Amino acid sequence: MKTKKRDLIKYKDGNLYCELADIWIDPSKPVKRALITHAHFDHFTFGCEEYLSTKETAILIKKRIGDNVNIKVFDYGDEFKVNGINISFHPSGHILGSSQIRFIFAEEKWLITGDFKLQKDETCKKYEIVKTDYLISECTFGLPIFKWDETRKIAINISNWITNSPDKTSLLFCYSLGKAQRLLNEISKINFEGNIYSHDSIHKMNNCYRELGIYIKNTMKIENKKNIDELKGNLILLPPSLSKGSYLKNFKNIQTAFASGWMSIRALRNRSGYDKGFAISDHADWDGILEVVKKSEAKNVFFHHGDSEALSKYLSEKEAINVLIFEK
Amino acid sequence: MSLNKFSELFVDLDSNNSTNNKIEVLKNYFLSNEPIDNSWTIYLLTGKNNKRFVSGRYLRDLFSEVYGYPQWLMDTCYLKVGDSAEVITLLLKNKNASLNKKINKISLNELLSKILPELSKLNEEEKKLRIKKVWETLPEANHLTFNKILTGTFRVGVSVGLITKSIAKLINIDEEIIAHRLMGDFKPSINAYKFLVNRNINLEELNSKPFPFLLANTFEDKIFKASINDFQFEWKYDGIRIQLIKRSGNLSIWTRGQELVNKSFPELIEKMSTIKDDFVLDGELLVWNFKDQIAMDFSYMQKRINRKSPTKSIQKKYPIIFIAYDLLELNGMDKRDIKLDKRRFELEKYFTKWQYKPENKISEIFKICDLVYPKNWADALSYKNKSRENNTEGLIIKNKSSIYTSGRKKGIWWKYKVDPMQLDAVLIYAKGGSGRRAGLYTDYSFALWKDKELIKFASAYSGLTNIEIKELDKWIRNNTIEKFGPVRSLKQEMVFEISFEKIQISKRHKSGIAVRFPRITKWRKDKKINDADSLDNAYKLMRKI
Repeated sequence: MKTKKRDLIKYKDGNLYCELADIWIDPSKPVKRALITHAHFDHFTFGCEEYLSTKETAILIKKRIGDNVNIKVFDYGDEFKVNGINISFHPSGHILGSSQIRFIFAEEKWLITGDFKLQKDETCKKYEIVKTDYLISECTFGLPIFKWDETRKIAINISNWITNSPDKTSLLFCYSLGKAQRLLNEISKINFEGNIYSHDSIHKMNNCYRELGIYIKNTMKIENKKNIDELKGNLILLPPSLSKGSYLKNFKNIQTAFASGWMSIRALRNRSGYDKGFAISDHADWDGILEVVKKSEAKNVFFHHGDSEALSKYLSEKEAINVLIFEK
Repeated sequence: MSLNKFSELFVDLDSNNSTNNKIEVLKNYFLSNEPIDNSWTIYLLTGKNNKRFVSGRYLRDLFSEVYGYPQWLMDTCYLKVGDSAEVITLLLKNKNASLNKKINKISLNELLSKILPELSKLNEEEKKLRIKKVWETLPEANHLTFNKILTGTFRVGVSVGLITKSIAKLINIDEEIIAHRLMGDFKPSINAYKFLVNRNINLEELNSKPFPFLLANTFEDKIFKASINDFQFEWKYDGIRIQLIKRSGNLSIWTRGQELVNKSFPELIEKMSTIKDDFVLDGELLVWNFKDQIAMDFSYMQKRINRKSPTKSIQKKYPIIFIAYDLLELNGMDKRDIKLDKRRFELEKYFTKWQYKPENKISEIFKICDLVYPKNWADALSYKNKSRENNTEGLIIKNKSSIYTSGRKKGIWWKYKVDPMQLDAVLIYAKGGSGRRAGLYTDYSFALWKDKELIKFASAYSGLTNIEIKELDKWIRNNTIEKFGPVRSLKQEMVFEISFEKIQISKRHKSGIAVRFPRITKWRKDKKINDADSLDNAYKLMRKI
């Protein structure tokens, strides 16, 4: 009788966990030791005794929540040992500092992609192809209907959207960390002549990116929300949370848009409540996920963060790749 | 003009929320394009009888065959997107079908007057190749337009009203005139567009067309403050609203949906032709129970309207009646600017005159709407609540001093509907929505108790707020018992108040009943499934009427 081999990484209480190292990956509740793939808040939780991340991720986290947090930092590619397991961070191309995490134990390699994208983005390191035996990949956009346009094309569309309504202030909602900086970087490369303003939360992140050596176009901070109506023909970047409450009701001469991968679907665009949607994402599209799965040379693949049914079936049928499901 | 311009217009109209903006966009579009393309644009945007060249299902199968995409993967994508034309557009992008191919620019006119009509002449194999070729040679920005026109699903947030307004603005003419010109069939041609934007008003040209319909608003409590004597009260019949037009001796029956339905009701044409005068009457077409002098259910009317040439036996089995509400034109005189009470007076006068002429054979098929005379508002309420007894939906309240304008103008007519019937039912199945509701579970099935079993009695998909829809969608995903394709059977836990207008026996349904216009009126989170109503309670509602 075969004894069942224990998986190095498993799913426990809704989180990825490596039992041998007693270490959690992006845990959603306080634990002793946590590996953090990147500085977005849905991947970070307060109250862990010790965090491990890349240098950039640590700086971004501290900028957002303060210095009172114990983070051990590593460079990309540096291997370190926890309970005999070799662990290393590798660029995932999602945002500045974002990483994949590789585990090696008894010559068996496991790779967690974290959130990732393959598209060009000058505000962070390019996704690194890492070979592995077991791959744990995100699949937020795991359907072939998702195919991202070149970022430059999106930037031009945004610019046209603004210049075609010169008597309106254009409010573009986007995540304040990562997406906003990528957009600013991209817009600075095309011929957009209006001014760009950003909300305080975005402004803070812009400065942090600059300190870390990333070129981000200079933007003015929105100090007083009352003057938004007067900023006709200009662009203001705001975090999506502000689109929900009463904030927008103060303004008359505005048009709104949301920058997100989900905006590629008309029904979601129409339902979003924004005037316009720009389909730009920091996650991989269908082709991106397939490419990573193939190039990683993994024999076994797990998916999380998304509806993986179709993707799993496709890979097993078309590519003869073994897709596994985590035991819950 | 290349198809690009039209595709750009679609993107503009689809993303811009303000009405004024859309009017401006349309106006500029009409100004800068050829009359023939403008004509097709109007045809597509008003959605009048847009032809479906192939079905969405067909197009998905074709794509799957041509590009070797698994069928099930297309279906999964469809669940997320909710529109076959768009699924294929997004997948084509992934296929990069247009890469390395010669790009072929076509005009909207070319597409609609040549390429698409030719499709139906081809055999199956040629047809597939032709569609594939268009996919591969058309610029990417036109794929959605092409697929949507092909599947007859071209719908944007543009109403006929918006087209009317933009053309009225373009040539600086009264909206009412444009609305009238747009009534009835719109056959795209250079002349059709030129007629639409003609600055000279020639009433003769409008001869075969119905007037734009005046529509009733929902009742407002503030009416209670007005004197009851200012209003005329009519029963609100549940049939087909029509204009019956006789001009220069020729009769036509136009529905509110601007369809000419002469062929479905030959007996009405025959009998009304015996009247000498010309007229335009606004009224309701119903299937009528002549023995009890009461309207038959709308389901009987459906059996008539779907037949293009009903046999004598069908005509006898489902006898129709035309009940006139209003007189809009008499012997070429437009009466719409006359106040309602005077129009009613004339309607009664002429009806009496027509009725008593022995050569007119109209007594069995034509009557005018009986008026109701409540003494006060409390009285009006009790009339309204009695409306189920005569198979009407309530009352229509009309301002006696109003003129007959068009559209849903405020302060002229109101519908005063009888309160709906209600039952508390348990949610048992959910199905993925399409179109705007793609990717969410928004089609729900509800059940009532019979002994210890829950029996499905109605499906509904309206009534919840967007926030509730999202919340329920999440609950559905976490409480699915089984999946059958797009349908999920659910844990029996949630109770909803379901409202509906009518209830009747139905052999087709397991529950034995069918309800009309079921919708959700409340999410009864306070109720357990044991508190839900039983089928017996539904039968009791039926007996009450």
